[in-house]
Amino acid sequence: MKKISKYIFTLLKYVSLILASLVAIVPLVVVFFASFKTPIEFRDSGVLDFPNHFTHLENYIRAFTDGNMLLGFLNTMIILIISMIGTILTGTMTAYVLNRFEFKARKIVKSAFMIATLVPAVTMQVTCYQIMNSLQLINTRTSVILLFIGTDIIAIYIFIQFLENISMSLDESAIVDGASYFTVFFKIIMPLLRPAIITVVIIKGVNIYNDFYTPFLYMTSRKLVVISTSLFNFQGPYGTQWQVICAGIIITVIPTLILFLFFQKYIYSGLTQGAVKE
Amino acid sequence: MKKKLASVLSLMLLIMSCAGCNSGGNNKGVETLSNVSSDIKAELTVFTNRTDLIDTVFKDYIIEFNKLYPNVKIEYEAMTNYEEDMTIRLTTDNWGDICMIPKTVSTNELPNYFVSFGKVEALESEYNFITEKASGGEVYGMPWSCNAQGIVYNKKVFEAAGITKIPSTPQEFLEAMKKIKDNTDAIPYYTNYAAGWPLSAWEDYAYGGATGDANYRNNVLVKADNPFSEGKPHYIVYKLMYDLANQGLIEEDPTTTDWEACKGMLGRGEIGAMALGSWAVVQMQEQADSPDDIGYMPFPVTVGGKQYATASADYCMGINSKSSKEDIAASRLYVDWLIKKSGFAQSQGGISVLKADALPATLQDFADANVELIANAPATAENEGLFDKINDASEVGLTSNEQKARIIEAAIGAVNESFNDIMNDWNSKWASAQKSEGVK
Amino acid sequence: MDIKFTKWIKSRQGQKWIIVFTFLLIPLLLLIVFTYLPFAKMIQFSFYQMGYLGKREFVGIDNYVQVFTRPDYFATFKVSIYYFIGAFIQMTLALYFASILSFKMKGRNVFKGILFLPYLINGVAIGFIFLYFFKRMGTLDSLLTLIGVPIEQIPYWLKNRDINNISLSFVSVWRYMGINLIMFIGAIQSINGELYEASEIDGANEWQQFRHIILPSIKTVVSLNLILAVKGAISVFEIPYIMTNGSNGTTTFVIQTIVTAFKYKKVGLASAMAVVLLVLILLITAIQEYCFKDKEARQ
Repeated sequence: MKKISKYIFTLLKYVSLILASLVAIVPLVVVFFASFKTPIEFRDSGVLDFPNHFTHLENYIRAFTDGNMLLGFLNTMIILIISMIGTILTGTMTAYVLNRFEFKARKIVKSAFMIATLVPAVTMQVTCYQIMNSLQLINTRTSVILLFIGTDIIAIYIFIQFLENISMSLDESAIVDGASYFTVFFKIIMPLLRPAIITVVIIKGVNIYNDFYTPFLYMTSRKLVVISTSLFNFQGPYGTQWQVICAGIIITVIPTLILFLFFQKYIYSGLTQGAVKE
Repeated sequence: MKKKLASVLSLMLLIMSCAGCNSGGNNKGVETLSNVSSDIKAELTVFTNRTDLIDTVFKDYIIEFNKLYPNVKIEYEAMTNYEEDMTIRLTTDNWGDICMIPKTVSTNELPNYFVSFGKVEALESEYNFITEKASGGEVYGMPWSCNAQGIVYNKKVFEAAGITKIPSTPQEFLEAMKKIKDNTDAIPYYTNYAAGWPLSAWEDYAYGGATGDANYRNNVLVKADNPFSEGKPHYIVYKLMYDLANQGLIEEDPTTTDWEACKGMLGRGEIGAMALGSWAVVQMQEQADSPDDIGYMPFPVTVGGKQYATASADYCMGINSKSSKEDIAASRLYVDWLIKKSGFAQSQGGISVLKADALPATLQDFADANVELIANAPATAENEGLFDKINDASEVGLTSNEQKARIIEAAIGAVNESFNDIMNDWNSKWASAQKSEGVK
Repeated sequence: MDIKFTKWIKSRQGQKWIIVFTFLLIPLLLLIVFTYLPFAKMIQFSFYQMGYLGKREFVGIDNYVQVFTRPDYFATFKVSIYYFIGAFIQMTLALYFASILSFKMKGRNVFKGILFLPYLINGVAIGFIFLYFFKRMGTLDSLLTLIGVPIEQIPYWLKNRDINNISLSFVSVWRYMGINLIMFIGAIQSINGELYEASEIDGANEWQQFRHIILPSIKTVVSLNLILAVKGAISVFEIPYIMTNGSNGTTTFVIQTIVTAFKYKKVGLASAMAVVLLVLILLITAIQEYCFKDKEARQ
């Protein structure tokens, strides 16, 4: 009896996963197919029809060259790497202090970060721009990097979540052995936070990679194009055809997908053997 | 030899650009222009909405211009959310040197941001449409390509539907569209509702096009009582929009229209007509089976037996009044070069800013039909900035698309509201804004 | 004095202060400069009648009075309800899939990759994908006719005002479920594996494990996600902005704010709207927190 219910449970699990996967993937298939179609093919065929040749790469070549995607990738990589290091450092430091220490302003600091996240950022474009301008950071990578690093409660909360499950006794025994708080943080806490760091890298990284509002406003210089804005070269009143845009979409998605598949190996490894064993 | 030619050319440019200098008054941009030499040093940042051209056309312009002024470094920056992002930039002084003046800058605010190119009287003998961005009799924005506002259509579809005469009244236009619906497979009229901006283009028809009066926008409408009532220009124009949608003469689902695809659809005869500025004609022709299939007609309104079309500048170029003297001088030279030498207007099928140039081929049909082009006259001193003020305060948003979308939504029955309800709402909003701005 | 100070620094208490100070200095500085300073400036704007440049006129609380007395502005919050419900469905699905995918099973990484895929897509692409998804005889209609639904019975997904906000909140769920999923999976990883082993020995089934081990342990992240979901629903912006421009009854409060600021150039009024929005979000968050705590206390 118990065995049968277990089978049914497993079956349901897979059915639901397959269904959800279909929902996730079907809208995207259209893009993939369209990116290989010629203009005439695109207009005459149905959206779910296969392209005639998966070797028709003209759209890809156009998207890559006209969209200036090489430079875009380079700029995006620079911004991404620096912002990620910044976010991880500020995020773990803040989370560590908020989780491990009692001090009067703790609640206030925590709420300050929380409230900041609740401010709808789009409504502050004008005033935020003026501040960035008075710091003379317009048209620099620093501007967007600072904005991406600043105030990310999601990262802080993920780190706090992990810290809650890391035993205080670890810290204490190290302190008794004469280690300073800095040593505890960098030598003991940081390595244990690895799965959390990778979660943050994935979530935040994709966010930065895809965000176009910030670079649009702060980095309009030609030399500072990023990958998320390159697609817009093909859109608008003077826009071209969708097949090229579709090729551009695929080009932009591939690196994130590869990185995700690569990184995700490291998040789940901990579970069965217990992530935070001493 | 080359150098000599360059200096001759630069001298010519100087003379030309000085057409406005004499009467320019105490303007720092003009003062410096008289001693500009071809080795002027400057670094210019130019802002544009044309993300599609910065790597191609504009790059070539810089190369050409640098043959004359090798020490002027020009950098283009293109924006996708042009209106919003440029507006935010303008709230700071050091935004750059040249920009396409966004619609968000009210006429009376122009002197706060931009250098004057000279007095209107001095420039108007040589240039078209310079009053577009004029304030206090001074020109703050130079147009470089201008458009007539009409309707782009597929000649073959019209022929197949049995339309023998180009419609010249709203009623005739509706009948023509009905013929297309009955006799062909084409969508008679395509709204481009989803893209938003094509709807705001309708506004221009209500000015010179539907009135024949250059003063309508800036001097009449702002003072008028109930300007959106039956029989008034806006009512006539937007009633046509409403009727087209209401009588099922548009695409079956406006909310999923596709601007990128519509060009090819018109070109292949799957669409009968679309209301767009004349700039669109070249783009439609590029994707047509045969460019000759694409025609351009005036908006179907006849005033006193004659047809008019509103003509207006595309974005006008403004020069930052807070830039350094050298940068302003060099910017003037570059703007002049763009207007006179770049051939931009011609390449876009636009009307040249120079009065001496002929009308573009795209508007040949207009010339044949004896359509008169009307540019909006600037506001009188008394009405300076009033249109923008009332338009903003009332939230009727004549220059944007929200209220036009509302008309189509009402017409297709998405919301329970009649056309007259909307016009009455506009009237009352307009009236209360007139009151708060001290007109009434 | 000096000796005392050095001694204090070397003491545990002193060390604690040093680490709190140094670790929080930069994050707080960024927070103040790029969030609180612009926000303070926006509050200032909200008391003026002003455009982008030119004259500013102090009008007191006029702008706030306007925000509250204009039914057309407040009506936009109705649209948020759709996204709110959507957010709940999204969280439930994410929790469900996260607890399944945290355990060993065949094809786990493939499923994780696929379910996360939509989050990797940027805004322009979303616009295109769902234009073709919802269009007449687009992706969705093609699929439905394929399984035998007659085309006449299929509604217009974006044109029909009864369902267009549902269509849009579906896009939102589609796009953001993956991020919740990854956050939850990440959080579940932080649970000590021994707990499961112990519960298995006790004969607990999957549901019991979920209810008594997983859910309590990832409380921090779940409650954060709940708060963010509410905030997201009230200040929803990107999906309707990309998809419909806020037309045909899909305008949200934030889109309305942007229109007020940029189309009507009422910067003061738009600032007041933004302030009201934040206060509203804070209020709801506080209530939510209170309920959450209350429930915990009762247990």
